[in-house]
Amino acid sequence: MGDKQTELLQGTLDMLILKVLGLGPLHGLGISRRIEQVTRRTFQVKPGSLFPALHRMEEEGWLSSHWGESENNRRAKYYQLTKTGRRQLESETERWGRISVAIARALEAS
Amino acid sequence: MKSLMRIRSFFGNLLRRNRADGDLDAEVRAHLDLLTEEKLRAGLPPAEARRAARIELGGLEQVKEEVRSARAGAWLEAFVQDLRYGARQLRRNPGFTAVAVLTLALGIGANAAIFSVVHATLLQPLPSRNAGRLAVIWVTNLAHGWSRIGPTGLDYLDWKEQSSSFDDLFLFEHGTGTVTGQGEPEQVAGLRVTTNFGGFFGIHPLLGRTFRPEEGAARHNFIILGYGYWQRRFGSDPSVVGRGLTLNGDQYTIIGVLPPEFAVLFPSDVVVPFDTEWVKRADSDLGVFGMLRSGVTLDQATAEMSVVAQRVALTRPSRKGFGVVLVRLADVRVEYLRPALLVLLGAVGFVLLISCANVANLILARSVVRHREVGIRMALGAGRARLIRQFLAESTLLSLLGGAAGSLLALWSTGLLAIFVPSRIPVPNAADQVLLPGIHMSGGAFAFTLVVSLVAGIALGLIPSLQSLRCNMNEALKEGGRGFLAAGPRAHRTRSTLVIVESALAFVLVIGAGLMIKSFWRLLEANPGFRPDHLLTLRIKLPTDATDSPYREPRQRAAAFQRFLAGVEALPGIQSAAFAEIVPLSQDDMDMGYFVVQENPPLPPGEHLAADYRDITPRYFSTMGIPLAKGRAFAEQDGLDRPRVVIIDETLARRFFPDQDPIGKHLQVPDATQPAREIVGVVGGVRDTGFDQQPRPTIYFPSQQSPDQTMSLVVRTTLPPGVALPAIKNAIWSVDKNQPVFQVRSMDDIISGIVSAQRLAFLLLGVFAFLALALAAIGIYGVTSYLVSERTHEIGVRMALGAQPRDVSRLVLGHGATLAGMGVIGGLVAALALTRLLSGLLFGVSSTDASVFFGVAALLFFVALAACYFPARRATRVDPIMALRNE
Repeated sequence: MGDKQTELLQGTLDMLILKVLGLGPLHGLGISRRIEQVTRRTFQVKPGSLFPALHRMEEEGWLSSHWGESENNRRAKYYQLTKTGRRQLESETERWGRISVAIARALEAS
Repeated sequence: MKSLMRIRSFFGNLLRRNRADGDLDAEVRAHLDLLTEEKLRAGLPPAEARRAARIELGGLEQVKEEVRSARAGAWLEAFVQDLRYGARQLRRNPGFTAVAVLTLALGIGANAAIFSVVHATLLQPLPSRNAGRLAVIWVTNLAHGWSRIGPTGLDYLDWKEQSSSFDDLFLFEHGTGTVTGQGEPEQVAGLRVTTNFGGFFGIHPLLGRTFRPEEGAARHNFIILGYGYWQRRFGSDPSVVGRGLTLNGDQYTIIGVLPPEFAVLFPSDVVVPFDTEWVKRADSDLGVFGMLRSGVTLDQATAEMSVVAQRVALTRPSRKGFGVVLVRLADVRVEYLRPALLVLLGAVGFVLLISCANVANLILARSVVRHREVGIRMALGAGRARLIRQFLAESTLLSLLGGAAGSLLALWSTGLLAIFVPSRIPVPNAADQVLLPGIHMSGGAFAFTLVVSLVAGIALGLIPSLQSLRCNMNEALKEGGRGFLAAGPRAHRTRSTLVIVESALAFVLVIGAGLMIKSFWRLLEANPGFRPDHLLTLRIKLPTDATDSPYREPRQRAAAFQRFLAGVEALPGIQSAAFAEIVPLSQDDMDMGYFVVQENPPLPPGEHLAADYRDITPRYFSTMGIPLAKGRAFAEQDGLDRPRVVIIDETLARRFFPDQDPIGKHLQVPDATQPAREIVGVVGGVRDTGFDQQPRPTIYFPSQQSPDQTMSLVVRTTLPPGVALPAIKNAIWSVDKNQPVFQVRSMDDIISGIVSAQRLAFLLLGVFAFLALALAAIGIYGVTSYLVSERTHEIGVRMALGAQPRDVSRLVLGHGATLAGMGVIGGLVAALALTRLLSGLLFGVSSTDASVFFGVAALLFFVALAACYFPARRATRVDPIMALRNE
């Protein structure tokens, strides 16, 4: 509870999910932990935001899911990128690059 | 691409909702397990680990709800939820639901039923190509009082040659023929047509073909069967084409069968082509349709045809003074019924408004009780949009239930309506009638009902929405149990306004019904110029066309009708009988002609006197009960070899012999080979074409002196029609067993046919007015009893201070009377403006008839006071002690 939380920008969560799934299929908790890991605990994704995002992205056709076994032989639902998802990741990354450069410039300028 | 996927998911979610939900549940539980395991591995004791996992998850149900609302189609799910909740609400209040659904069912059902009639009559498409461009062309001569008469063959040929407004003109004539050779002789309804018949209407025959242009010569003798006749007479035999048929003694070859829907346009049994030569000589009442050229309006065509008619009169002086009238065929067919149906459509609209007002009142009364519920929901964070959606779902559910019940009501009542909607309706002033298809609830009517229900539902949902949204959440919660006080004066004003509006609407409807009742009464009381009771009629057409016919000579025809008459008069229970060319009010063909009064100075050339011609046998006037004013009636002696005589009616006598005695004067009719005829009698005028028409100048001829081929038998008898008619037919057949009879009916039937539109309007307006009045009474009752329960405390105080029950009931009745009074005032203004629309249906009553207006106002007050009676009685029985203790 005491963890410092950084608000995720609209659309950022989608991009992070796409990014971490780019390396291979993961279940919900795995995605959550991987995001914490790669952002060095800047972002902590709560299930209340993670699952709606996963289901929405699956409906968009970016992700596909299947039931599988976790590393400790527990049943878990795994998500992986589809072809569309991979393309989406590319365009999101490219868009993000532009935005962050633009914002960095704007902040430097003042 | 993206939206496509979402749409697919949308439907997928709807279909697989349960499965998807189960999967989601498993997924979230698995997540929880993984979390717990993670905590265990981090070294927490099991109980701690489970707790920490749950905290991190943040609530199983909440997570699932988040996912669900993120899914495609979430709004629909919410809507279904609203509907479920609404259904639960309705089930929890069965009394409210029953009353509301029943009220709506009455309003919506009335609309569905009347719309079915409108759909089946006014909106029925004609079975023709370019049906919207079909126009009927009549000849007119208003100077003679002929507003629409059929043209002659020469008119048709001249028009066809000289007009350019039409793609084509079509000529036809209705008639009857006798089919012999297969079983008993049968009188069939025939249609004679020009050979462009098939192409003109774009007919696709069921079997065979239609006529070819060159087949308009008598030697072809080709015939087309109507669908009904083919079914009836030939048992729908598919091999009928090429077979023979004997019609009027002539041999015909069947070349085709018409499609079933064509009967809407021409309900004929057989169709034969005109003989091209005969068309030139045909001077009787023919029918002409024109197919307007694409882009030509009716007015343009009328203007052009008027010019053509003037040009025609130059070459044919007999047509001087004649014009033409063009009316769209689709309009002609419904002219008679349309005013009545539009009035009824308006009336059911009113009934629906009244029933909605009543249900709105119920909903408002309930929304006061539900104030607290709304307050709680708002406090828990329900948005206004969400609340409105909830109200809308409830009211739509209510109105859909009402619509379903109303459809059942309409299904049942259309069967009843079919009895009152005539199957044959007259074409005004044209001695013609059209067949109407049967009335039933069509798909169109169901769609209409659905739309009406939805609109009513939305309207009903918005009223409490607006009312509730004005409320203050804190107030609602504070007021708590005594929710009804929270409604405040505004809600009360809304409810009173609704009741006033519905009283006003009911007032207008009851005024309309009152006017129609009075008018119908006048109509039935109107004197048509003869005694219509106990009269039976049937029609006989002698087969004179066949080469071996025994009726070719006029003398033979006169003798045949004499023999039929003798046979009928010999029957027991028959007071008297006679033949006449045309039975009054029967909408049979017209017979009209010119005449000259021999004793008067000659008229300027081109001017004519015109009158209706009627051939009759001697005892016609006594049989019909037409009074003889002067002179004598015809006698058996007025035969072919006796001096020619005529009898005129009082209308003709008044108009053309204003200050003279017409007896002994002579009339010359156009047939110049005949000597002038002496007037031997004057009889009373007869309203031949309808109760609402004035008698027209008429000349009666003794039929022995000019025997017709077709005559109508009129019989006065005290026997019931079911007994007398078979006996009469047998008497005719005992004279000639091959003689078909047709149009067998009583004068009562004929009259009920010509007042059918008024009767329809009168009966249904009566029913709707009664409904409206009952609903308005319920509305007044509801508001007044609500007022009483709201003011119980006040009444208790008043009574404790010495008010008598009389004072208390005056308070309550005064309230009801005020509502009714304001309703009457509003209704009066509306009625004065609206009853003018009824004037076309009214007979002998002004649309602002004072006695009806006063009577209805009194009735409404009486009903309002009666509706207040129970609340008033309840008010007088308030126990002051109890009322005060309740505080």
